[in-house]
Amino acid sequence: MTTLTRQDLNFGQVVADILCEFLEVAIHLILYVREVYPSGIFQKRKKYNVPVQMSCHPELNQYIHDTLHCVKPLIEKNDAEKVVVVIMDKEHHPVERFVFEISQPPLLSISSDTLLSHVEQLLRAVILKISVCDALLENNPPGCTFTVLVHTREAATRNMEKVQVIKDFPWIVADEQEVHMQEPRLIPLKTMTSDIVKMQLYVEERAQKAS
Amino acid sequence: MDDLYLDNIDEFVNDQNKIVTYKWLSLTLGVHVNLAKQMLYHYLDQKRKEGSARLHATYLVSGKFVENGTTSHKVSVVREDQLEDAKSKMSLTVSVHVYSVQKAVLKDSGPLYSADYDAVKENLRNCSRYSAIRCADAVPRSSAEVQQACETTQAPPPETEQIKANHSNLASKPTPKQPKGIMGMFATKNVSQNQDSSKEIKLEQKEDAPVVATSKTKPAAKTNPVSNFFAKQAAKKPDKSIKEEVEIAQTSSSVDEKPSSPPPKAETPVKEELAKDAVVEKDIRSKTKRLEHSDSEEEKNDSQRKKRRRIKKPEPDSSDDEVIPDSPPQLQEKRDPSPSPEIQVKKEPVAVSHSDELSACKRRKRRRVLKSRTFVDDEGCIVTEKGYESESYSETEDDFKTSKPTPKNPKPSTGKKEEKKSKKAAAACNKSTKQASIMGFFQKK
Repeated sequence: MTTLTRQDLNFGQVVADILCEFLEVAIHLILYVREVYPSGIFQKRKKYNVPVQMSCHPELNQYIHDTLHCVKPLIEKNDAEKVVVVIMDKEHHPVERFVFEISQPPLLSISSDTLLSHVEQLLRAVILKISVCDALLENNPPGCTFTVLVHTREAATRNMEKVQVIKDFPWIVADEQEVHMQEPRLIPLKTMTSDIVKMQLYVEERAQKAS
Repeated sequence: MDDLYLDNIDEFVNDQNKIVTYKWLSLTLGVHVNLAKQMLYHYLDQKRKEGSARLHATYLVSGKFVENGTTSHKVSVVREDQLEDAKSKMSLTVSVHVYSVQKAVLKDSGPLYSADYDAVKENLRNCSRYSAIRCADAVPRSSAEVQQACETTQAPPPETEQIKANHSNLASKPTPKQPKGIMGMFATKNVSQNQDSSKEIKLEQKEDAPVVATSKTKPAAKTNPVSNFFAKQAAKKPDKSIKEEVEIAQTSSSVDEKPSSPPPKAETPVKEELAKDAVVEKDIRSKTKRLEHSDSEEEKNDSQRKKRRRIKKPEPDSSDDEVIPDSPPQLQEKRDPSPSPEIQVKKEPVAVSHSDELSACKRRKRRRVLKSRTFVDDEGCIVTEKGYESESYSETEDDFKTSKPTPKNPKPSTGKKEEKKSKKAAAACNKSTKQASIMGFFQKK
């Protein structure tokens, strides 16, 4: 039984890798389920031993990939508090926000061999919950777009600006308009707790979507 | 039977927002599947009468289906709005029952599989405890029998290798092995047991959802992959008929454009073989929602192959590449058949040169590589197409690195002749320029 601290970057990288892979699948799935893009661009692929829908569009994939590539260092250092997928209507007012609250315990312990398969099971459950979330949410108006926001702890973004992770892919501080939503309704979706990461997924939905 | 179960189901569906399938319900409550189906039906009925909740259901429909004169037994899972349509398409409806109840409108069948996954995995040993399908002969093999089976399957491939070398087909090694095993299973069992045996295969292979579309023409379809290896490309029709329904450009384009090339089946991994053979000749145009079995298998295997490739090759590679060594080894010595993972990591010079060491002769080969091209078409839409492109390469590191995808060669008949010519020419010139390998000592005979 090994107990590692945050300084043990290798393990931190492993956790960040797992989380980023998961977030990629989750974002694609959210785009599919909430019909942000036509379902024709999605194809079935396999992740965690279950079928998931991933997009084939190269630019969209590249965008999501680059986004998560920049988020990864934040997760490694446990600076990312929330990763939010915001769906906005035509006037760029947020309509729905899928919030992934991530926290990592300071002392990571690899206590068992089945740790990763246990984590896989939990992530699978979260994926399943996203697939059926349309039962709890109202339909979105047509012509929606999406963006990804990251809420960081303290002043981590200052470091990020100094070191631009990917060229030509800058991150900017989000507008007030994109962050705050009028009359939000909170709908919890799933909570997962494991030895390496704790994650909560909930949706903030605007009470009146059709503007 | 008290009505407590109705409250249970209510809690699962409404409070927990679960997808309640009959299989999950039977495993959770510990009841026979038929009872679980009835429970779901009663629950649905009651809720509909009350008019309270917005519930959605999926149904499993099975019956006789006639298509182009062939009758098959089709089993499919359909949404409620497609139920009547599916029933009307069948010539004889054998059974209809509730498959699942949930609050969400399911846009695709993926979540149905995930819903059962954990429950089935936990009860893997006895998942048919509450099942209605029984076969007295279906007993798990003892470990001795399993070992015997492994030995017998290892013996035939050396024989088939010789035959393959003589014909102009080259296939990956596991492919002839597996169909024989599966064919054997189907040969001994009755047709009526198809569903049971296919389910067992599925469980063993840990493949897709248990509900599959089966077909009575399946045994006939199964003989084709194996007979194709021995027949001279004559049987393209069964190939095509199975291929047609697979909505994947790569296979259809390869069948259409290169009729004389080795059967596309050769390149597809084994699992896809099994999946395809287990899937009925389905009608894509039909509106019934089906578990897109072959689609998902193909994509799964694509992503699996991609995964495997990434581990071995750190450079980013966005294209789906498949190597089909489409020229037979002309040399007499036995060429090590590279198993499918090795074929997929064709870009590894090590793997390729290893197999080449035996031949000790640098050959120039043309190979067809599956590449996906992204381009903007007339309407300004970005289109991603997967197609085969010919690429010439020789089994040396130097030539490999400089090889670029050459323009697509649409004429397969001339392609083959070119291969042989270029091979011999390359062999001649390469011998003079390249350093003799260690096997050169044994070469001159």
